[in-house]
Amino acid sequence: MGLIDDAAFLLLSTVAILSGWRVFATDSMVRASFLLMMSFIAVGLIMLLLAAPYIGLATVFMMAVEMMVMALFMVMFMMNPAGLNPMMMVHQHQLAIGAGVFAFVGLTAAVLFTDLPDDRVDPGAPVVHDLGVELLGNSMLIFETAGVTLLATMVGAVVLSSRSGRFGAADEGSRPPGLEVGGEPAGRQPVQGGGGHHHHH
Amino acid sequence: MAVAALRRLALRGPVPVHAAIGTDALAAVDDLSLDPRISVQQSPRHAAILLVAGPLRDEDRSDLCRLHDQLPHPRATVFWRTDPAIQIADPPVVSVEDDAAATIASVYRSLIEEGRPSEPDLQPDTPPNPWRGKGDHGQGGEGMMGGTPYGRPMAMTGDDLRDGLQLDPYTAEFGPFLPVFPPGLKLRITLQGDVIQFAKVLRPPLPQEEQSGPSAALRRIARQLRLLGLTGQAARALRLASVGDGKAAGVRRLRRLVKWSGSGQAIPPGLGRVGGADVRDRLAAWWEVASGETAEARAPDRTLVDLLPGLEWSEAMLVLNSFDIATLTGMCPIEKREDKAHSEEEKDAPEPHDHDGHQDQMRGAA
Amino acid sequence: MQAVAILSVLLLLLFGAWLAAILDRAGNALVAGDRVRTAAVRPLHDLAAHLSRQTTTTEAPDRLNWRLAPVAYLALAALGLSVVPLAPGVVAADFDAGIVLWGACEALTVVVVFLHGWSANSEFPLIGGYRYVAIGLPVMLISMFVLIAAALPAESLSVAAIVESQREIWNVVRQPIGLPLFLLLGLSLTLRGPFDYADSDDLIGGTRAEASGAQLAAWQFARLAMLASVSVMASAVFLGGYLGPVLPGALWLILKSGVVLAVLIAAGHLLARMPPSRMMTFIWTVLLPLSFLDLVLVGAELLIWG
Repeated sequence: MGLIDDAAFLLLSTVAILSGWRVFATDSMVRASFLLMMSFIAVGLIMLLLAAPYIGLATVFMMAVEMMVMALFMVMFMMNPAGLNPMMMVHQHQLAIGAGVFAFVGLTAAVLFTDLPDDRVDPGAPVVHDLGVELLGNSMLIFETAGVTLLATMVGAVVLSSRSGRFGAADEGSRPPGLEVGGEPAGRQPVQGGGGHHHHH
Repeated sequence: MAVAALRRLALRGPVPVHAAIGTDALAAVDDLSLDPRISVQQSPRHAAILLVAGPLRDEDRSDLCRLHDQLPHPRATVFWRTDPAIQIADPPVVSVEDDAAATIASVYRSLIEEGRPSEPDLQPDTPPNPWRGKGDHGQGGEGMMGGTPYGRPMAMTGDDLRDGLQLDPYTAEFGPFLPVFPPGLKLRITLQGDVIQFAKVLRPPLPQEEQSGPSAALRRIARQLRLLGLTGQAARALRLASVGDGKAAGVRRLRRLVKWSGSGQAIPPGLGRVGGADVRDRLAAWWEVASGETAEARAPDRTLVDLLPGLEWSEAMLVLNSFDIATLTGMCPIEKREDKAHSEEEKDAPEPHDHDGHQDQMRGAA
Repeated sequence: MQAVAILSVLLLLLFGAWLAAILDRAGNALVAGDRVRTAAVRPLHDLAAHLSRQTTTTEAPDRLNWRLAPVAYLALAALGLSVVPLAPGVVAADFDAGIVLWGACEALTVVVVFLHGWSANSEFPLIGGYRYVAIGLPVMLISMFVLIAAALPAESLSVAAIVESQREIWNVVRQPIGLPLFLLLGLSLTLRGPFDYADSDDLIGGTRAEASGAQLAAWQFARLAMLASVSVMASAVFLGGYLGPVLPGALWLILKSGVVLAVLIAAGHLLARMPPSRMMTFIWTVLLPLSFLDLVLVGAELLIWG
């Protein structure tokens, strides 16, 4: 059993690292999204090996949906989603490489020099049940507040970016009605000539 | 051995046919699709025989060549009710009798079993937009955006109609043989996702025979039913249309079946409002005509290119197919020249490539 | 035991796909008024016809994803089916969190259909692909709520436990709106009928418009296999799976799945398809609240009557 676990771990980690690398080496944005998804799926499957089936499968589930939406946005907004033109996706190339190497060395050192537990989880242990008890018990406050905060943020972002403003279309400088009927619009005057369109290169 | 068995099995099924419909042939092809020996396919890639029915315009010929090249091998072409419009190496197969099904079936059999050679490509297998060696890396593109990499004009951003977001519009010509269009209609459409931003009529639909009466109304209803995903009911409507008389009971039963399918609710209200009637009203009028009553004709007060922008693709198809061909031709005036005033709207639309079939594809087994 | 289960899953997929093909053709013939008997052998002829034709390609497609998409679709159908117990104690993959695996398969199906549409480098398949994403993702949410409501009486996320929890009363009785909502998911996963936004006729066949030959045959087969998989899952979660008085468990499962399969195919042929924007409104304003309601009702019932 240990041999199969080790082999599976090695295979999945290789897949995760390779597909993570390919995310930045590929020209096609859609492929990049799905390679990232594959990397996450590999990590989720590793969590299955760590006796956390719910977390692992939920990671796969969520990442599939998220990367799907990201790929869709690539097609919608990016002018080169298929990578027919070569893409350069990293900014501040040297700094990025330096930070990456530093982080890799630091994390590897942390992993190799820490005393990680190696006791096996009892196969009969009700891990999903225990996870549920933890989520809805001690950690309930965190999860509920995080959930509601995320929802409020999403709603707020949509409201802020939506075209229909409170007093008219947002890109026409929606302005509130005047204090007297037919008078000057109250409130702050919108800045003229706003919103340059910045293309992502 | 296995290949021969496969071929024999393939012969037992109906012949997959893609129909390129010309003048006065729509009703005939609809009737042909009811024949159990024939299965009319929507996409040319799913067919083995290209059926050219009815005379085509001269300008449609190059589109027909492009359509022909998309059928997978083995393929053959059958001309029906028209002279051979394009040059194919073999003596072209022309169906002389009014029932083309027998001719098609025999051509298919000779194609599959008796070694009739598959028709070669009519157009050279080269990309329409030359791209080799151009651009920064020889793939036709420039930097990270722009150019025509691998022959495809790169989408640049443009404002979306609905909310002003800068999205990537896509312009293409949707062409005279598209099965969801009335035959002969060619439009240049700029799409933002699946929402139509601009539309321009390049060629009007071809005139078709017999536009009034219960049979014609049933055929139009069948096209709408097909767009709503009710292919079985559409076939039933076509069968009723091909029967001469005595179909009132059949029409009543079909109407009940369609009512229970929720198609009345499926079509959004207020869609494609022209002359005070929307798509639902026009469909209801056709049902009246199919049941034997008469409906008065309304003159359209808008053109097609005014009606389409802002509609999503399936809604646009419902609107397009909710007019009979004569009315639609009246709604499709061709602008004489590509005048600069109109091209201002399309200034960020890249150079279009042709469809219905789409531009040249690379042939080759995969 | 597990090897038997895996083999049975594959056989069930094959047999189910074949049955679904026959029922689909027969259903179409019935509605259209054609002869039903010739329709029953048509799938075999269609398969042979597809295999004897060339697999064409387009200019600059994403070849890897295009060829892999039907294979992945089939693999997801098999994976989803693997958590369903075929008989007491016979499960190919006995996960504690079987429903979550099924949900992951649903999510990945959306990805696979999008990739199939995207890879062909053609506009109709692409439109079909992203139309499907817009509809498929919310429908997946509906199915998750309904499945959670089915997991509540079982007090477990494993499908085997859910089947066992239906010994007294089937889930279709406990939560009557659950099964219709799950069947809508089934239509969406298999690109059928009112949820056929990916492969529809108004897009000239959608994601399969540019597919021909073996590629097309593989895609159609994968769709039918997914239909079989959804039917078995629905009958396990809502109709009691292998539970039943006289016959052996596996036979009950097959019978119930057959009924669900027939209902799905009938719904595919008889219901009209709305334009995507209208369907979006319908899903978000009617179906999702219904699924919430379903969950709340089951929870209330369990609280009150234990």
